[in-house]
Amino acid sequence: MNEFRKGGRDPLDEALASLPEDVSPQRDLWPQIRAEIEKTPIVAPVRESPVQSTWFRLAAAVLLVLATSFVTYYVTRQSMQPQIVQNTPATELPAPQVNPQPASFSLGPERLGAGYMKTRAELDKRFKERLSTLPPADRTKVERNLADIRHAADQISKTLAQHPSDPLLQDLLMSTYQSELQLLTNVSELPTAGSMRTDL
Amino acid sequence: MTTGAGTHSSALNADRSPLSDGALVAAARKGDMKAFERLYRLHSGKVMGLCLRMTRRRDAAEDCVQQTFIRAWRSLAAFEGRSAFGTWLHRIAVNEVLTHERNHGTRAESDSEAVDDAQAAPLEAQREYDAGEVMDVERALATLPPGSRHVVVLQTVYGYSHEEVAEMLGIAVGTCKAQLHRGRRLLRERMGLPETSDE
Repeated sequence: MNEFRKGGRDPLDEALASLPEDVSPQRDLWPQIRAEIEKTPIVAPVRESPVQSTWFRLAAAVLLVLATSFVTYYVTRQSMQPQIVQNTPATELPAPQVNPQPASFSLGPERLGAGYMKTRAELDKRFKERLSTLPPADRTKVERNLADIRHAADQISKTLAQHPSDPLLQDLLMSTYQSELQLLTNVSELPTAGSMRTDL
Repeated sequence: MTTGAGTHSSALNADRSPLSDGALVAAARKGDMKAFERLYRLHSGKVMGLCLRMTRRRDAAEDCVQQTFIRAWRSLAAFEGRSAFGTWLHRIAVNEVLTHERNHGTRAESDSEAVDDAQAAPLEAQREYDAGEVMDVERALATLPPGSRHVVVLQTVYGYSHEEVAEMLGIAVGTCKAQLHRGRRLLRERMGLPETSDE
């Protein structure tokens, strides 16, 4: 700072350097400032450790969803390969239609409407039936992945409760619910022993 | 330059404490109004000088000072101490001045218009300064077009670098340099000073 005030030889620089930086107001402005700021209490910043921070947890949740989706895809593909084709046709589930985003959803998936919850319940039932027929190792992986997705949805939902109008969080939560539905659908549609779908 | 007859400068100086800005800011962040008042007493003069030279109107400058401190209070939690508190305040003040100019349409459409306006009608700021050489340079400053005046004030009076001024005013560094060059040339003309080789 003040690089222009050091020369001193140039009359312009001398004149500029002679200007005082301080000019006192003609009246005391403090009473009006005080009256205004008394209406605004300061909110002390909350120091969180990186691990505790909301955004860190959110990022972890997103990564979890991505990893889970990939593992589930891998497991379901693997489960289909050794199956033998039989006559049992694969049942077609109606694709779950997730409603347009509500203005805010700070709670669970029930906020997405009765239709969604009904589809989800049906899928969940078929999922459990189909899950019980999977090899124990695959079953464990799928169960763990579903738990991870639901945990991620829970984390995002809690964050959304703090920032209810954040469109990114709303999209993220919607995407996580869709991942959950996708996982339920994928497992439910796995061919039963002795059958294999050819349309995948 | 007079700093305003009947001002509060002596009271303000008497109220100054040896506490550093950092300690005062830390206390103010916890809601200590007295600490924030100390900060106001310590910094309001410089902020006023900056606003007055940028706006050229005492009433507008006082509004900007007021808004600067109100905004600073509301943003204290976000002040991370990466720059000096005074520098942070000046950034807020510059923003307030620019906002004020936008809202009140006091920024002339072009630099030449501003010079014409400034020369045609004596400004309140011009009338207030009346001390020989200082008066001359203040008056000459007040007649500069806004773009040049802002840059000259921030760089030559408050000592900010090209980069800092460019960031404060939201302009390119090159524009900042050109405005400074132009402002200095105009100042020389109006103060009857000889041009130098670099201008």
